Amino acid sequence: MNTENTSSHTTSEEVIIIKDLNKWYGDFHVLKDINLTVHKGERIVICGPSGSGKSTMIRCINRLEEFQKGSLVVDGIEMIEDVKNIEAIRKDVGMVFQHFNLFPHLTILENLCLGPIWVQKKPKAEAEAIAMKYLERVKIPDQAGKYPGQLSGGQQQRVAIARSLCMNPNIMLFDEPTSALDPEMIKEVLDVMIELAEEGMTMLCVTHEMGFAKKVADRVIFMDGGEIVEQNTPQEFFENPQVDRTKTFLDQILNH
Amino acid sequence: MTTGIVAWMKNNLFSSIPNTIATVFILAILANFIPGLLDWLFFSANWSGETQDDCVKDGACWVFIQAWSQQFFYGSYPTEEIWRINLCLGLLLSVVIGSNFVSKTIRTKIFVPLFLLLPFVSILILNGSWIGLEPVSTDYWGGFSLNIFLAAASIIVAFPLGFIWALGRRSTMPLAKSISVLLIEFFRGVPVLALFFMGSVMLPLFFTEGTNVDKLLRVWIVLTLFMAGYMAEVYRGGFNAIPQGQYEAADSLGLSYWQKTLLIILPQVLKVSMPNILATFVMLFKNTSFLMIIGIFEILSTTQAALSNSYWLGGHANEGYLFVAMLFWTVCFGMSVISSSIERKLNTEHRK
Repeated sequence: MNTENTSSHTTSEEVIIIKDLNKWYGDFHVLKDINLTVHKGERIVICGPSGSGKSTMIRCINRLEEFQKGSLVVDGIEMIEDVKNIEAIRKDVGMVFQHFNLFPHLTILENLCLGPIWVQKKPKAEAEAIAMKYLERVKIPDQAGKYPGQLSGGQQQRVAIARSLCMNPNIMLFDEPTSALDPEMIKEVLDVMIELAEEGMTMLCVTHEMGFAKKVADRVIFMDGGEIVEQNTPQEFFENPQVDRTKTFLDQILNH
Repeated sequence: MTTGIVAWMKNNLFSSIPNTIATVFILAILANFIPGLLDWLFFSANWSGETQDDCVKDGACWVFIQAWSQQFFYGSYPTEEIWRINLCLGLLLSVVIGSNFVSKTIRTKIFVPLFLLLPFVSILILNGSWIGLEPVSTDYWGGFSLNIFLAAASIIVAFPLGFIWALGRRSTMPLAKSISVLLIEFFRGVPVLALFFMGSVMLPLFFTEGTNVDKLLRVWIVLTLFMAGYMAEVYRGGFNAIPQGQYEAADSLGLSYWQKTLLIILPQVLKVSMPNILATFVMLFKNTSFLMIIGIFEILSTTQAALSNSYWLGGHANEGYLFVAMLFWTVCFGMSVISSSIERKLNTEHRK
């Protein structure tokens, strides 16, 4: 086992089961026969060139994207058309976006309380206590009364992570969480994500931060052309890639 | 010398030969026109008196406006009951202005519901028969206050109605979508005057036979639907300005469709639409003067009635129409001021 890697929390319980997932945009085949099983506590990093379908795949998991063929089970709930199932899955799965997507007309505290109050029907005082707890965890409790537009990109992304955590999710999806940030702000966001990984959160993370992948991932997945081309432990993946396409990709992002 | 009034004039008014000619020309026109106007408006105007015989000087006969002011403003509403009109106007003003000075929570939880209830409360007060006051039939409602009430009542109902139509237009449900598109396009595509006539002639066909639907109620319905059509299109522009990420973030939190629409999308749509909403309000308010044509005693018909009154046949059309123009302008300008203060407030709230 890689000594750099934080200790694994992976258990045998399967929380996401994707079978033969296919998705088309019109004639364009975006996802081709995706098969992926994620265990509770597992940390997965997904990388690949742009347009490879990696974001689309994780967006299928909470139904921000529909798929046309195949099956998807999250926490024992089958992803079908039924609004009840979709809402149940969404309550269980948190998501962090590239562009933060905070609600600009609400304060930081209101952004965080929205889910607990309206979805989980918690009393306001309890929701605010939860919100403050997570704001402290992402180290910006003093910004609670401000509006998103008054915060830096790194702060906004940490708020976005806290907003997802307030819903107490079992699984967290990260869709290129650091791609829109200035270099000096990437670390503060990655630090929060590393802490989260160490606490045993099940994470699927689309990112090109290979340092992060080496440090926390249990498995690295490489996607290209809508397919999972290769998956392996970070050590094997970076030191001994099996497929030519993976080698080319790693050359491009590691040796620039 | 580069500063001072002389330098300014040299730079801006007499910088070149064509510029100098234009300046002289415009000044000549103004010099010809302004003194006469001021003289008519103020210096030779008649300010006090009872009848038009008191207007002995050459200028404007403001006595005419004074003598008819109650009619102009309150129509034929009984004099001893006029406090009810003032009360309703006061309520309207205090809700609109007051909402600027309270916190966001109080605004959404108290002022918005108050605002939406206002037309119905006003009808109770103005009519009076349901709350134990002297009943006043709508035949006696009139004057400029009627213009204000009709415009306000239509706007207030069209606010949510237009939003629902705009939502319908974006809906993926075919029936909701086509009905909304049909309504929006109909009420936007037909001139408001034609709608008024249709309202007086056709709308009664939809009510059960024998029921006599009040004329003002019909006008209110027509104005509301007309306004809702325009509002729906204003909202549509607002919807298009909301980034997709806002919907996705709301979805990923597990908010339901209505929670997402009302908590996340509506406030942002309102914010970006605010300038256009005001423009639509002003248009509707001015359109209430068309009601003269279908025999509603709003300000313009009242003015015409006053002008043809046998005691006031001295030709006071200039004074009358100028006064009406001033009334409309004042209210529209007031709405501009209120709206820009709301815009500023929204701006500072979102990014200090």
